[in-house]
Amino acid sequence: MMRLHPRVRLLWSLRAVGSALVVGLLLGVLDFFVLEQGLWIPVAGFLVVCLLGVAVAVLRYRYWRYEVRDDSLYLERGVFTRVRTVVPFVRIQHVDSSRSPVERIAGLATTVVYTAGSRGADVTIPGLSASGSDDLQERIKRLAIRAEGDDAV
Amino acid sequence: MKLSPLSVPYRVAQKAGSLLFSLVILLFTGATGLVEAFGASGLLLALGGLVALGVALVGYEVAYYQRYEYELTADTFDIRSGVFSRRTREIPLARIQNVDIRRNVVQRFLDIAAVDFETAGGSETEAAIRFVSFSEAKRLQRDIGRRKRGDADDDESATDETDLLFALSDRELALVGLLSFDLRVPGLVAFLASSSVPILSSAIPSLSGLTVLAVGGLLLAAAVLLFSWVVGITVAVLNYYGFRLSQTTDELRYERGLVQRYDGSIPFEKVQTLTVEDNPLKRRFGYATLVIETAGYAPGQGGSYGSEAAVPLARVDRVLGLARDIDAFGEFDFERPPKRIRRRYVGRYLIALGVILVALYSVNYALGGSYPWYAPAIVLPLLPIAAHYKWKHRGYWLDDRHIVTRNGFWTRQTRVVPYHRIQTVIDTQTIFQRRWRVATVTVDTAGSRSLAARDAAAVDIDRDEAKRLRATLETRLQEALVARRREAARDDASGPSAGSLDVAGGDADATDTDATDAESSDSSDSSEPSPTPPESAASNGSECTDDSRHSDDSDVDSTDDPMDEDVADERSPDRGNGPDSV
Repeated sequence: MMRLHPRVRLLWSLRAVGSALVVGLLLGVLDFFVLEQGLWIPVAGFLVVCLLGVAVAVLRYRYWRYEVRDDSLYLERGVFTRVRTVVPFVRIQHVDSSRSPVERIAGLATTVVYTAGSRGADVTIPGLSASGSDDLQERIKRLAIRAEGDDAV
Repeated sequence: MKLSPLSVPYRVAQKAGSLLFSLVILLFTGATGLVEAFGASGLLLALGGLVALGVALVGYEVAYYQRYEYELTADTFDIRSGVFSRRTREIPLARIQNVDIRRNVVQRFLDIAAVDFETAGGSETEAAIRFVSFSEAKRLQRDIGRRKRGDADDDESATDETDLLFALSDRELALVGLLSFDLRVPGLVAFLASSSVPILSSAIPSLSGLTVLAVGGLLLAAAVLLFSWVVGITVAVLNYYGFRLSQTTDELRYERGLVQRYDGSIPFEKVQTLTVEDNPLKRRFGYATLVIETAGYAPGQGGSYGSEAAVPLARVDRVLGLARDIDAFGEFDFERPPKRIRRRYVGRYLIALGVILVALYSVNYALGGSYPWYAPAIVLPLLPIAAHYKWKHRGYWLDDRHIVTRNGFWTRQTRVVPYHRIQTVIDTQTIFQRRWRVATVTVDTAGSRSLAARDAAAVDIDRDEAKRLRATLETRLQEALVARRREAARDDASGPSAGSLDVAGGDADATDTDATDAESSDSSDSSEPSPTPPESAASNGSECTDDSRHSDDSDVDSTDDPMDEDVADERSPDRGNGPDSV
């Protein structure tokens, strides 16, 4: 079982801080115009969201596992709802490797595997090192070609 | 080939119709302005503009007709079209899922039809031919089916006889109407009405607001019920008038509709899942609904009345017989979730009831009335019964070639998914499910109807069982695919009909074996390989897998899981500990 790159915790935590900032700002506006209770409300809101977000990010990293098996890709993840997904290689339509600006700064990348399924049609593996993501993409691609499904539908 | 010449006037009329409305407004506002500015010549100007627009429209449609060409080649369907920007599109025949023909009243009068080709990709119809003659549409539908099969060229003598599988009698149509109850309508009406209640209550000042609310609410509910029932009946009759389902060698054909006639084909090889649906009323009288799902997008997906390829209502044995004609599966023998889960359902219903009661109580309190807000509590004794039925209707069952799942306490859905149609297997466990040591295994297919999140799922089965099921499904998928490939290869070796469509041909034959039971047609050699997959599946995937690779995996899982559980138990009360322990 493979784990994600540890740095992904930083990325997710940063994201959590971002949303905490938004919440704090909204609370601040609300406080300023309606509640008028003082500065502690937005600050407390920010801290709570921040802490929760960081905790969830860390836990998410802890539970995230994936494995490239002989004929399928297996993922295990989820803090609150534990999800285990099996994606047979025969079913893979195409594989993407993407890097958002923030991910590029952190030196991380995301691999997305698409199937024709109607739910969970795209399986995302975040938090891979850039080269790791490319490798994974290449490996899955080769395995998918070897698996040669007739229609993948 | 070109479109029907009649498509030009029809398209012009169609476009003009939608333009007319805006034009009328434009004329009323614009013309008066023009008349004021330029006098009588302003009116002429306006009329001139209108004429110019009309000419442009006709010109465009003529050009569209001139430019539009389609051609059915040996293995593709090509379309060249476009007035300003040109487009050439080639669709491999093997990829076409269904071919749908649609005609409304006017089109029927003009003897033209709209044809849609659906493929599995993309979010929209792959090719929409706007208006060829009806006979041409039928020819396309027939020839595409035939060429996919790999038959050389089209002698009219080539077998295209259709066996009637099912025709909806008038009695059944009436029943469909009576049992149809469009639930979306009450929602909409309730939404609209909720805003009008205050106005009503202010109109009758002598009564207290709450009485008006209660009486008005009851009346409204009755009216809404009646209205939605009428809507349901109308929609059902419009949709399913003259429903016929028939089969050719490798396709299903359906026809239906009163005002708008639908006429579609579904290749057997493209059928993804079959769903048998019923509700308490239908169960009571022994009826059920059959839904046939393909990977193509459902033709009238925009707010249409369910899937197009559904048998709206028939006796249960007939529905099951029909489903088995399409895909042979055995007698259901469901594996139910553990009994302890019923307590969970009772708990869940209790919470829902509690929320309702609290809401009612607070409304009552806010309005200062003394009304029996606790009235809904009379359903309390019913909760265990509902929970029991929810449990009873849940289950899954594996046969040699299919997984069958059943869910739903009110509308019960039984879904039949062949192993070779499985896309991904997803095993989820919410926090609450973890407390009860159960999990949900969802089988994802490429079906189109699952937008309502109604995939085949074995819900709330024991955790270990879920793990086993996941592994079993995975191996059976691989086995089924290997078996199909072997069959296809064997067919290639024996059959001379080799071409560029081998794969599709092989597929078709593979599924044919199911159909041949019913009609024993030409593909006699394929009845031989059909016993293979059941044997291979039975020998090696009885419950858990003996396959070394997979037992390895489950070992890994089982060592992992308790650990995770511990970690979760430790962490969940105090998440703040997370960061430093890593």
